[in-house]
Amino acid sequence: MSQADLSIPFRRRAGRAMEDAFLQEALTIATTKFIGLRREAFDAFPEGERLRDVAREIKEATLQHLDRYLEQLIGNVERFGGRVHFATTPAEARAVILEIGRRAGARMAVKSKSMATEEIHLNEALEEAGIVPVETDLGEYIIQLAHERPSHIIAPAIHKTKGQIADLFGKELKRTVPADPEALTKLARGELREKFLQADLGITGANFAVADTGTVVLVTNEGNGRMVTSLPRVHVAVMGVEKVVPSMTDLMVFLAILAKSATGQKLSVYTTLVQGPRRAGELEGPEEFHLVVLDNGRVDQLAGPLREALDCLRCGACLNVCPVYRQIGGHAYGHTYPGPIGILLTAMLNGPGSVKELAHASSLCGACVDACPVRIDIPRMLIELRREVDEKRIAPWIERVVFTSVGWLLARPLLYGLAGRIARVLQRPFVRDGAIRSLPLFGDWTRTRDLPAVASRTFRERWSELERETPR
Amino acid sequence: MTTRAEFMARIRAELGKTRGLPPATPARRPERPRVEAEAIRAELAERWPEALERFRHELEKVGGVFYRVATLAEVVPVVAGIARERAARRLVSWHAAELGGDLGPALTAHGLEPVAMPPGEVASAAELGLTGVDLAIAETGTLVLSSGAGRPRSTSLLPPYHIALFDRTALVESLAQAGVFLELWHADGEPGNRGAVISFITGPSRTADIELTLTRGVHGPKEVHAIFVEAPIRG
Repeated sequence: MSQADLSIPFRRRAGRAMEDAFLQEALTIATTKFIGLRREAFDAFPEGERLRDVAREIKEATLQHLDRYLEQLIGNVERFGGRVHFATTPAEARAVILEIGRRAGARMAVKSKSMATEEIHLNEALEEAGIVPVETDLGEYIIQLAHERPSHIIAPAIHKTKGQIADLFGKELKRTVPADPEALTKLARGELREKFLQADLGITGANFAVADTGTVVLVTNEGNGRMVTSLPRVHVAVMGVEKVVPSMTDLMVFLAILAKSATGQKLSVYTTLVQGPRRAGELEGPEEFHLVVLDNGRVDQLAGPLREALDCLRCGACLNVCPVYRQIGGHAYGHTYPGPIGILLTAMLNGPGSVKELAHASSLCGACVDACPVRIDIPRMLIELRREVDEKRIAPWIERVVFTSVGWLLARPLLYGLAGRIARVLQRPFVRDGAIRSLPLFGDWTRTRDLPAVASRTFRERWSELERETPR
Repeated sequence: MTTRAEFMARIRAELGKTRGLPPATPARRPERPRVEAEAIRAELAERWPEALERFRHELEKVGGVFYRVATLAEVVPVVAGIARERAARRLVSWHAAELGGDLGPALTAHGLEPVAMPPGEVASAAELGLTGVDLAIAETGTLVLSSGAGRPRSTSLLPPYHIALFDRTALVESLAQAGVFLELWHADGEPGNRGAVISFITGPSRTADIELTLTRGVHGPKEVHAIFVEAPIRG
């Protein structure tokens, strides 16, 4: 498996990614393209800025009354003949889905792209239970053949060349295939068409779930979301508990900004609204519909420091603009969700201890806030996480000592002034051209940055001089 | 296994801990969706040519093909033309009542092989899928199709060429207006005659998953043809 091995430190994982010339080029091309497409889409959509605020407020209103909206959703799903299941942990979610599969006698499951099912590591569990999972989003299909994980939320296989993909397809189909995107896509269409018609189980995520109508909403470009919800006998949708929206009117607000943020499209090709199993008179569609509502750390954050991250629409816009993601790609992060929002979601799912390195994999430049369709303040929460990581004594001791001492010093003006004068003397052996290029004990810090030298005259000294010189 | 009661109790307990959050409200919903929907229709009775032009423009931008004919009967030669150029013959179709007219005999006369109301595997073998449209959204070039009896989901999904017929009563200007109709369709809380799925279709199926190269027709149709019929299809 080429995805990150968590036993290797983050810095080494990131370093490897930066030495991978193809990955570097692919990341630059993809993220630059997505940024441009997103900007054009919003430039041509004057209501966009206002709708982003409206969307944010809808998310906030929904979270504040999540109990009410969730009850309403459950009631409506059941009224239309669907069944709702509850999973606090990934293990529970897997058990629920396997049980549904067993009862249906399922031997093959076709899946439409879903981060929630990635998050609970469903595919491995299905395989162990003798149900063959088939990813049907082209990008997901590619990385499934490669036994990897997605490297971008909406473009899972951007790290692969067409040559590598042709090799993967060739191995699967046991013949040589041309390294041409069009031909490869056609091959995948044929392969997967068979599987759609054979599979007993269709598994999807949910981009939204409308409380007022009991409708699960899937957004795709390829049409696999429609296949998976039309052809197999049983449909299971797995949704994070925060995906509820109150009404169809609210849904339209999100649809108006989601695709523009993700791919720059006005709307993705297919938005599929599923309200339970097939109805009387319908010749197609699943006979059974199951909704699995997943907690996995989310509920704790309703009143927690990462609450804002529950507003995330999974559009991937923050990945594209992030100077760190653009350099290292998704795999180096080492978890299901990459990029700036991924750090927060990883902390939400696995606890702050899981991001003690990742919490620092951000320059806090704020590009993610500007790109986020619902303006999630990611840097604020990253700072909060860094503090938490430090309080829990997960940070390196040197960092803790320095920050504690500096904090103590900053609260004492006289000592601070004295320290400045002492530093001016002590720094002499290390200053070159007005900057400290390396410092004993702080090699990690100065390896990639210069520290400005302490000035020969401090601001406070200059200020008092100025006051003396300026007549009142 | 977590029960519904346990799950909800945890959510309520956490919500109980939140303090001092600024009040927030969801989007304002139409109080009387029927009245607002009728108001939209009334406005569009005047403005439809502009909306249609915008629809055509947006549909073409996403790779769809637009046609305009005077009557339902004139749809037949257009469909036959599309089929001929692609050497396609087998056609699955929504039921005549859902399409607004029985085009079967005329299509057969033009050399096509129409099959009504297909189960999935039949539709998979067909090359052309002929459907109606519930809403055509000008802002995005989107066709909205509700499933139901006589309106199989697969007709617009499995064949490589999707052909959709609509008239001015289906036209709306924006996603927000489409939202009013969605509210209306769900207003009584009952399924009525609707099927379980509503599909928004914005151009042909596409992917850019291999080196960001745009490729059409990965799972769904590789071509979408929208035929506007000037004379209202249903009376």
